[in-house]
Amino acid sequence: MPSPLLPSSLGSAEGRNPPVVRRPVIEIADLDFHYGTSQALHDISLSIAEKEVTAFIGPSGCGKSTLLRCLNRMNDLIDGARISRGAIRIRGVDIHQRDVEVMELRKRVGMVFQKSNPFPKSIYENVVYGLRLQGVRDKTRLDEAVETSLRGAALWDEVKDRLHASGLSLSGGQQQRLCIARTIAIEPEVILMDEPCSALDPIATAKVEELIHQLKLRYTIVIVTHNMQQAARCSDRTAFFYLGKLIEFAPTKDIFMTPSNPQTEAYVSGRFG
Amino acid sequence: MADTSKAPSFPITKRRLRFFGLTSDELVQLFFRGNAMVSVLVLALITLFLFREGLEFFGQNQQNLQVYRRAGLDYVDHMRWQEQDHTALNRYLLDVRMKVMADLTGRGGLSVEAANQRLEAFDQYSIRFDDAIAPLRGLVSELSETASAIKTKYYINEDKRTERRQLLAAGRADEAARVEVIQVDFARELEPILASRDAYLAINRDLARELQELASAARAVPGVPVERMDRFGTLVVQYVGGFPQIEQRLATWDYREDVSLLRSFSAFIFGRQWLTASFWQDWYGVLPLFVGSLMVSMIALTLAVPLGVGAAIYVNQIASPTEQRLIKPCIEFIAAFPSVVLGFFGIAVLGEFLRSISGAAWLDWVPGFPLAERLNALTAGCLLGLIAVPTIFTLAEDALQNVPRSFKEASFALGATRLQTIVRVIIPTALSGIISAVLLGLGRVIGETMVVLLCAGNRIEIPDFTAGIAAFFQPVHTMTGIIAQEMGEVVRGEIHYRALFVVGIVLFFLSLTINFTAQKILRRYRQQPL
Amino acid sequence: MSQPTPNPFRATPSFSRTFESGVFWVLRSTAYIILLCGGFVFSDIVIKGSTTVFRPEFPFVNTTFLTEAPESLYVFEHEGVKREMGDREFRAFRESERLKAEAAGRTAPEIKATSYVYSAGGIFPCIVGTVLLVVGSMSIALCLGVASAIFLNEYARQGTFIRLVRLTILNLAGVPSIVFGLFGMGLFVIFLDWNVSLLAGWFTLALMVLPVVITASEESLKAVPQGFREASLALGATKWQTIRKAVLPFALPGILTSSILGIARVAGETAPIMFTAAFVVRDKLPWEDLERASDFFFQGVMALPYHIYVVSSKIPQNEYTERVQYGTAFVFLLIVALIATTSIVLRARLRRRYRW
Repeated sequence: MPSPLLPSSLGSAEGRNPPVVRRPVIEIADLDFHYGTSQALHDISLSIAEKEVTAFIGPSGCGKSTLLRCLNRMNDLIDGARISRGAIRIRGVDIHQRDVEVMELRKRVGMVFQKSNPFPKSIYENVVYGLRLQGVRDKTRLDEAVETSLRGAALWDEVKDRLHASGLSLSGGQQQRLCIARTIAIEPEVILMDEPCSALDPIATAKVEELIHQLKLRYTIVIVTHNMQQAARCSDRTAFFYLGKLIEFAPTKDIFMTPSNPQTEAYVSGRFG
Repeated sequence: MADTSKAPSFPITKRRLRFFGLTSDELVQLFFRGNAMVSVLVLALITLFLFREGLEFFGQNQQNLQVYRRAGLDYVDHMRWQEQDHTALNRYLLDVRMKVMADLTGRGGLSVEAANQRLEAFDQYSIRFDDAIAPLRGLVSELSETASAIKTKYYINEDKRTERRQLLAAGRADEAARVEVIQVDFARELEPILASRDAYLAINRDLARELQELASAARAVPGVPVERMDRFGTLVVQYVGGFPQIEQRLATWDYREDVSLLRSFSAFIFGRQWLTASFWQDWYGVLPLFVGSLMVSMIALTLAVPLGVGAAIYVNQIASPTEQRLIKPCIEFIAAFPSVVLGFFGIAVLGEFLRSISGAAWLDWVPGFPLAERLNALTAGCLLGLIAVPTIFTLAEDALQNVPRSFKEASFALGATRLQTIVRVIIPTALSGIISAVLLGLGRVIGETMVVLLCAGNRIEIPDFTAGIAAFFQPVHTMTGIIAQEMGEVVRGEIHYRALFVVGIVLFFLSLTINFTAQKILRRYRQQPL
Repeated sequence: MSQPTPNPFRATPSFSRTFESGVFWVLRSTAYIILLCGGFVFSDIVIKGSTTVFRPEFPFVNTTFLTEAPESLYVFEHEGVKREMGDREFRAFRESERLKAEAAGRTAPEIKATSYVYSAGGIFPCIVGTVLLVVGSMSIALCLGVASAIFLNEYARQGTFIRLVRLTILNLAGVPSIVFGLFGMGLFVIFLDWNVSLLAGWFTLALMVLPVVITASEESLKAVPQGFREASLALGATKWQTIRKAVLPFALPGILTSSILGIARVAGETAPIMFTAAFVVRDKLPWEDLERASDFFFQGVMALPYHIYVVSSKIPQNEYTERVQYGTAFVFLLIVALIATTSIVLRARLRRRYRW
């Protein structure tokens, strides 16, 4: 299929990495989305490339979170939410088909939420939650998974001595990284992040951003953020939304340096939003 | 599905494990949905079974009233009421005598004999008045027996008929043939009663003449207050004036006239008598029970509303946090008192306590005091008040709690005092919540059984409202009480059993209405904060 | 500076201030009048009842009262001494007197005794019956109620069906208990032909308390943060897995404590069991003389609230009957009060502990 994406190394930090074949993982085509009678998304078309970080930016209520939640069908939980036109394909599979098992989809498309939401269980139990759901009982496998995931989330060194302490005993930033660990424990292909740092202080935010850089070596990441610096720092491509419409989608550098659309320019230069 | 085959690297199609065409998750959801249906089902079943057991009452009552007319009991009752009115007049005379007697012996300082002597002329008059009714009384009792006999005969035959039907159903035809059923011919049976008409008219003429004479002589009776005797005279004239109407009604009376189902219905709803297992005629009128329930609830709410709402305002707006922590759980604790224990407390302590208080001299001005009965509407009402208080308190406190803090702050910022804020801002905002709290309290009280069963005195009679406020100190019976009391003693399927279920239906719909109204008020208030 | 200006904010006594504090005192008194009334009822029953239940000497508790069945009390004068005996003891005594007299070669004098029903012995079968009723009906109510609440809170979407269910629950909560009694009698006792039995009582009480349990469970489910559900679903859990692993475990303490209030209601009600489960008197304990195991469910039981009703309305009040009346009321009130207190205390503690 024709891809609007060029195999490129546009992300500033990417240059050193060995070149990888970038093919689109997620394709969104002509998507209209409604909450009840009000339309939240208008005619969105967009492709997300493998093992890149794609950022969705835009003022509040522009539909960026809605689009994100469409990608693993979390919107199914909301009454009256429906896709009225268009489709979302992940690896060519239309995820809103009737015969799609949502649980399987969500195992492959993980999500990290705005507010960290560890279960009031131990750190260990939090991480293996997803594996236990899949029926994994083998203790060694679980232990391994806990270590890899926590290492993957850059949390291992901080918590390795207290794996059985409550997840709620961690600090805000640690909790958010625990949630990331929990997500990568089930080895998804895509990780969706819904403003993962909006409730964190700058130091914790820096840690999470660093983590995102590491994660993109293995996962495709879509991140919604309010913070334009964050988008500039850690994403390869950026999509700017306004009033439910996709205004501009381009390599991050271009969006911030030479936006082609005046609205984008106004937003990234801080004149509204 | 074509996609799946093309892209096996992303297998997210549904698994095929299905039971009856449903995935396991859908089955689980169905299970929970079924459980949620239970409450709807229960409400439907309650309605269904109340009606199933109760509805037939109206047919049975129609039958009951029909027999009452066919057997001539209705006819005789017209005369009986005439006689009873006379008795009421007689009671008036008795009352006059008692008052005068007390006056003479008390203030007048006369001995009892002397007082009796003083009243001799009055007693003569009184006796003459009483004697006047004797012929009518004799006729009524004579006819009563005849009518009763007809009714009994009819019911014996009905029983036999049922027996025969049962035997036939059991396939024992020969035995069934032996059961003798005689059709009761009401026309023939009623002949002696209807034949008494001329005798009745004669008696009535004499009675009217005699009473008229007595009425005009009433003024002249010495030794008793003239104004009371004047009143008596007018009452007697009124009474006699009603005679032609009674005669007219008896003349047009026809045993063949059918009793409609509507009549059976209205006899229940508006019937002023609940009389069961009577040798003469059973009446199933819900009115005395309804009035009893209502009166007891009124007393309870009169006590509980000021206390409950007042305490809610105090705890929510004025009390210190320590007081709040103390008072709220304690009132919640009162809510847990089992009603039967409160009922027992009423019997054991409160009834006697209230009566002794009512005997105090400084309360003499209250009509109806001192209390004649230990167990009466007041005793039950007080205890029901204690039951209603926690309900009203908790819900009213909730309503006050829901008033946005900003309202209060805005009012304070404008320089209002605490009292002004409470009266002008907080209470108006929470008003519909408070009203619905009171309504739900009413629902709680009207459905309460054990307290009224034990403490209300259980006298099935509409209280005498001419006594004014004293009516609230009389024993009453209630709808809940009657069900609890009589359900254990009735035969399944009989009219009395069904009547109790109909009382249950009334109670059920009454509580639904109250509850529904309360919810409606509450909903409206949630939508519009002010 | 030299001339001190009068403070315009100085509090001055005025009529409106006095009036305000007067009104506040009236309101305060309403709160305390309620507490006083409740305290009066409670202490009256506790004080008079404890003389029956407690003993001044070891073991300090009247074991007869708590462990035996009710029987008639006989009061009589024998050889110039006034004596009181329970039914069995009295028979034995009369027999021994007769034998004594026969041995001495004379006829025994007739003992003239006044009898008071239910005034001797204890209330053990009633306690057992009440416990059985509460355990059975609460089990049923919890199963149905929690499942309903899960549907309403987790699965249901806005719609006519849900509005209907909610409306029904609200209205069901207001139906008088005696109507539940009638319904239980119509459906379980007569239509299903279970007769007056434990099973009929269980279901009647369970359905009566159902709205309480549903409301309590829903409240606890609502208190579990939405984030838990989202996180679990995002990890690929099915709805049922989410409920089982990420919602119910955290809602369960709340559900259970709030349901204790339902227990108090079930234990305290008399009207629903009057025609469905309660016997005035029954010699055998529920587990005695059962031919089949199923008979256990189809037998009526004695119950504390019904026993109080019987002893307070069917027998006259005097010094002999008062003991059992107050004793039963005391034991019953104590049980219900303990349950209610537990619920109130636990609920307050739970509210403090679970803040997500």
